[in-house]
This record gives sequence, structure tokens and C-alpha cells, in this order.
Amino acid sequence: MIFQVINMSFALPEIFMMVMACIVLLVSAFMGKDSSSVSYWLSQFTLLITAFIIYLSISGTGGITFYGSYIKDPLSDILKLSICIINIFVLSYSWYYLKVRNLFNGEYYALATFATLGMLIMVSSTHFITLYLGLELLSLCLYAMVAMKRKSAMATEAAMKYFILGALASGMLLYGMSIIYGATGSLSLASISTAIQIGHLDNTVLSFGLVFLTIGIGFKFGAVPFHMWLPDVYHGAPTAVTLFISTAPKIAAFSMIMRLFVDGLENLHQYWQGMLIVLSVLSMIIGNVVAIAQTNLKRMLAYSTISHVGFLLLGVLSGTNEGYAASMFYVLIYALTTSGSFGMIILMGRNGFEADNISDYKGMNERNPWFAFMMLILMFSMAGIPPMAGFYTKLMVIKSLISVDLILLAIIAVLMSVVGAFYYLRMIKVMYFENPIEQIKLQAPIDIRILFSSNALLVLLIGIFPSSLMTICITIFS
Amino acid sequence: MIALSDYLILGALLFSLSIAGVFINRKNIIILLMCIELMLLAVNLNFIAFSYFANDMAGQVFVFFILTVAAAEAAIGLAILVVLFRNLNTISVAELNTLKG
Amino acid sequence: MQHLIFYSFASILLFTSMMVIIVRNPVRAALCLVLSFFTSAAIWLFLEAEFLAITLVLVYVGAVMVLFLFVVMMLDIAETPLQEGFTRYFHVGIFVAFVITIEMIAVLGASHFGLGILPSPIEHPEGYSNTKALGRLLYTIYVYPFEISAVILTVAIVAAITLTLRKKKRKTQDPADQIKVCREDRIRIVKMSVASPQKDNEEVES
Repeated sequence: MIFQVINMSFALPEIFMMVMACIVLLVSAFMGKDSSSVSYWLSQFTLLITAFIIYLSISGTGGITFYGSYIKDPLSDILKLSICIINIFVLSYSWYYLKVRNLFNGEYYALATFATLGMLIMVSSTHFITLYLGLELLSLCLYAMVAMKRKSAMATEAAMKYFILGALASGMLLYGMSIIYGATGSLSLASISTAIQIGHLDNTVLSFGLVFLTIGIGFKFGAVPFHMWLPDVYHGAPTAVTLFISTAPKIAAFSMIMRLFVDGLENLHQYWQGMLIVLSVLSMIIGNVVAIAQTNLKRMLAYSTISHVGFLLLGVLSGTNEGYAASMFYVLIYALTTSGSFGMIILMGRNGFEADNISDYKGMNERNPWFAFMMLILMFSMAGIPPMAGFYTKLMVIKSLISVDLILLAIIAVLMSVVGAFYYLRMIKVMYFENPIEQIKLQAPIDIRILFSSNALLVLLIGIFPSSLMTICITIFS
Repeated sequence: MIALSDYLILGALLFSLSIAGVFINRKNIIILLMCIELMLLAVNLNFIAFSYFANDMAGQVFVFFILTVAAAEAAIGLAILVVLFRNLNTISVAELNTLKG
Repeated sequence: MQHLIFYSFASILLFTSMMVIIVRNPVRAALCLVLSFFTSAAIWLFLEAEFLAITLVLVYVGAVMVLFLFVVMMLDIAETPLQEGFTRYFHVGIFVAFVITIEMIAVLGASHFGLGILPSPIEHPEGYSNTKALGRLLYTIYVYPFEISAVILTVAIVAAITLTLRKKKRKTQDPADQIKVCREDRIRIVKMSVASPQKDNEEVES
């Protein structure tokens, strides 16, 4: 056996975050009931410093270390940085939500930090074992976070459904991995890729394993027909947790599909392309059509997530660098926009009242024109109306489809985003053209207002100047 | 000697049994959790068989980690189950219908 | 001889796993699962994975299944009415599972993984220790996953405790708390509209 020197400096963000997560945990264990604000600030500090460490190391050299289980490349740097930044937003919203309702102690922030650690591990994994462990670390934290509101029957039921289907998905993923391992004789994605490239492998067996991998990924993403858990979990979980689940883990899931299908199995592109086409077309259709019928905003956003997942997969399945860049741009903007939309729900709610019905937003414009305008930006971005960021993401995905001659798919995507625009615009109609039910002024503290406004304005800003982020995404894959 | 295909078919049978168990079971969530354990068992059998026939220890190492994670998963699953039981006073799958899913 | 042992273990394994999914009583299901773990440990011994076979018995039969049984006993499910039979999807479920199984066997069968294609490997020399080999890998090449699994176990502990720990309500009086009370703690003036929707009652967690 060759003994390598492990380059620890690559894994500095993860190491720092792990140490800090343990500190947050200890603080919340010893301080008991009063720990929540201390753990909150500690975990925000952790995210900030981790983001800073990642930022400093972006220009440094990349490479593989820990005997081929850890990779540092431009993709992992950017995704990790965005996960940390998005989570800073997400945790701030959650803090407001939990403080107002006097829910949860410091453990919530400890679990959130551990979940973030899981995402970072997933993003820079280049080995089946690390990928699986990162995924499980993330999922276990999420199951627990959904169930943390112990007295609520809805939350615990959502947690149970999430748990069963999540574990089923992991089982599928593992079965697929075992078949791929059997066919290629390796667990490391790099050697799997070379083994397939050299050839002489049994393509039937490989594609058989691929089916299970795709099912597992479909479950984790919430793509139709594996989407059953998603609306229930979004609806049942406390809004702070829904916000957490719906943002940064999507970026991690994107990295999972990139690592598995592009880094590892790109030579099987012709096999996975077909499966992803089915998943994405079904997701776009079911997601958009069912979302129209929803009266609950959280459920509506859940179905809109499903449709966005469909869009996201479109970029990946094109199999070109352009398509991967488009998907990456898509997922980053999606996470930012969703964090704003759920942030709005949190902002509108108060103790004992969740503003999660669409009718709660009637006459928002009269109650608070500024927030209504911010929400308008977010909804326009989700619908893909220029000049919001969402428009350019959709445009980029569709362009990448056309460049590989998947014209029919591009047409379906355009049609479905028109259908999707309907329910986002209905939301705007409710806010601007209907009379408010209650006349209470919104009473959120100034810091959370600034946070929400900056979140929404960021979406607008990227929409007006999309080129910088777009260039970053494109250079990563070229 | 016993061929690799025998082990794999045994794993496949076990795997489909557990999937069937998850989908047809409406009585009780504990059995669903057991089905998930069974599923991981099938995966482990696959890994060990491949690892033996390829003479490569990596598969066994993976099984080691899967066992660890599965134990952690069982603990969290049962914790959620206990919380759920305190709320609903039932663990029947059919009564998980507060959320229309 | 080897075939005989393998096939008898395999059939016990399949039979007990079938029992796990069809018996009504969760305690019986748990015991069947114990037996299937045990037989698969025996099958793993065939594959020269001694350490993992022992771990399976120790960790699963010894810890996880005992945990299952504890929960089954603790929840006192006998009093809750168990629904008879299976879902209406029963037949469809069985059919789909059957088709999937046939396909899986076709792919994994002798034509792809038979002895003719993959002969059984050369035997290890005398004195070879599976545990040693595994341990050597675990603490060198797989040290990073090893650390992650430590974190996962920590998370499992934290999550399980947070979810299930209930603080005992104190019956005694605490004078310090009584003195600290001020007016704002006791009364709260709330403005309510008449038709304020009250959903998902938010209770203060203790």
C-alpha cells in the first residue's frame, strides 16, 4: 500500500464547520433553555467564516485528496460558497420564525449546521462512500428537523413520510451503486469513469444499475413520479424547516447528479438521457398543472418546486457543458428565489398564525406596498418574466436544449412555463387587485425587513446584470 | 462452488420482497421500518458478494459504513415513530392522512 | 455439501423475510427479522466477510432489533386497532414486484454473473485475517468516510434525544421564579379580528 500525504488544507471548510457544529451542540446542551440566541449567532458565524475560507481558497489549486474520496475543483468551490451564503439567509429567516413562536432550542441550529456540513461533503465527494455518507448526514438532520415540532401532528406525520420515502430512496441508490460497483469493480467515480471508457463492460448490467441510481436521485430531487413526499413535507413541516429543505439541499442534490452522472457515468449518457427526459417532462407537466389547483401557498410552492426540478434536469440531460452550466445557474437562482418566497411567508406570519393560504395575501398592496413589490419580483422571477433572474435561467436551459436538437423538449418546456406563469400571476392578482381581509399592518423587525428586501433585490439585480454569475457557471464547465 | 449469480439473485429476491413490503403494508409503520432494514440487508449482500468475487475489499468497507448509517437511521426512524404515536395514538399507515398526499 | 448449506440458508432467509412483511403481529415480525439477519450473517461467512458477519449479529441482532422490540413494547400497540388485511393495491403490488423480480433475475442471472464469467477467487493464504485487512483500510484510505460516520452517529444521538426527551414537570414551587414575575408575563392584550383563521395550534414547547 502506498502511503500518501493527505492534503488537509483542501478540507479546511469541512473541518472548521465540523468543529464549530460540535461547539454549537455543546453550547446548546449546557445552556439549556436560553441557548437559542447564542447558538444562532454561533452558527451564523460558522457559516460566514466557512464561506470566507472557501472564498479565499477559490483561486488556489484544486485536486483530489484523502485517497480519492475528496475533491476540490471550481464546481465544488462555487457550490459550497453558494450553499453557505444561502444558508445565512435561511437561518436568519428561521431565527425570526422560531423566536416569535418560542419554538425549539439551540439543537435546531446544531442540526442545521450538521446538515450544512453534509451538503459540503456531498458537493466535494468523488467516491460512492463519501457521497452516500454526505447524503445521509444531510437527510438524517432534515428528518429530525421536520419532526422537531413534537406537539404538531402534521409535522410529525410529514417527518414520518419523509423518513420512509427518504430511506427507500437511499436503498434504491445503494442498490444501483452496488450494481455499478459489481460491473466496474470500483467505488471511486474517477476509476469508474475510466473503466467504462476502456470498455469491455456489460452494458446491460451498467444500465440496470443506472435505473436504480436514477430512481434514487429522482426521489431525492422530488421528480415525478417520485414526488409524493414533497408537497406533504413542505406543507406539514414548520415553515422555517420547509425553507431550509427547499433551498440549499437542492444545490447539494444538483451536485450529486453532476458527480454521479457527469463525473462518473458520462459515457453512459445515451442511457441516462432517456430516463431523465421522462422524469423532467412528467415533472414539468404534473408540477405546473397541479400547482394551479392549490389554495395553500406552501403546497403551491412545493408543486412549483417539482416543476423547477423538471427544468433543472433538462439542462443536465442535454449532456453538454453548456447544459450543465445552465442547470447550475438555474439551481443557484432557484435557491435564492425560493428562500425569498418562503421568507415572505415567515414575514407575514405571527405567533399562532401561519400565512400559508393564498387568501392571506389578499390586498397585500394596501397593507404594505413595499413587501408586495418584493413578492412581485420573486413571483416574476419564478415565472420567468424578464428582467428577473428567472428569465435568464430558463432561457439558458432552453438554449442548451436547442443546441443539441431536442426541439420538442424545448417546446414542452416553453409551454409549461407559460402554464406555470398562470399561478404565479394569480398570486400577484390576489396581492394587488383584491381587497384585504384584515387590515393589520405588518409588524416585522427592521433587520428581517432589510434581509427580505435585499434577498428580493438580489434576484432583481442578477436579473438586470446576469452576465457575471452566468460567466462563472460557464467557465466552470469549460 | 456457488456462483456470484446465486448470491445476486438472492439479493434481488430480498430486495423486491422489501419493496413489496413497503408498498402493500398498511398496518403498521414499524413493519415499514423493518422492510427498510431488509432492503439494506439485500444491498449489503450484493456488495459483499461483488467484493468477494472481485477480490477487492472496498465493497466490504462500504458495507461497514452502510451498517453504521442504518443503525443511525433506525434510531431516528424509531424516534420519529414514538413522537408520532404520542400525537396520533396510532401507528397505522392508513391513518396518516392529515396531509392529503 | 456447500450447495446444500447455501440453499438451505437462502431459503430460510427468504422465508423469514416473507414472514416479516406478512405477519400481523409486530413482535413476530421483529423476531423473524432477527432470524433473517442471523441467516444472512451465515451467508456472509461463505463470502469470507467474517468481521462483517459478526458485526451484523452484534449490532443488528444485539442492538437495533432490541431497540425495535423495545419500541414495539413501549408503544403498546395491542390496544390500538390494527387494520385487517392489506391495501387495495395488494394485487397490483404483488404483480409489479413479481415483474421486477423476473427482470432483475434476468440481468443478474448466470448469463452475466455465472461461474463461467466470474470464477470464484483464489483462496487467501493461511493466517489471513479479514478483520485486519478491513481495519487497515478503514484507518488509512477510508479515514475521511470514517470521520463522517462519526458525525452521523452524533447527529443520530442528538436527533433521537431532542425528539423523544420529555422533561418531567416540576410540582414544587420555585420562589425565585415567583418573585421574578412581572405584569407582562401574566397578561397580554391581544387585538383580534373576528374571523382570524386559527390554524395548526402553536403550543409552546417545554
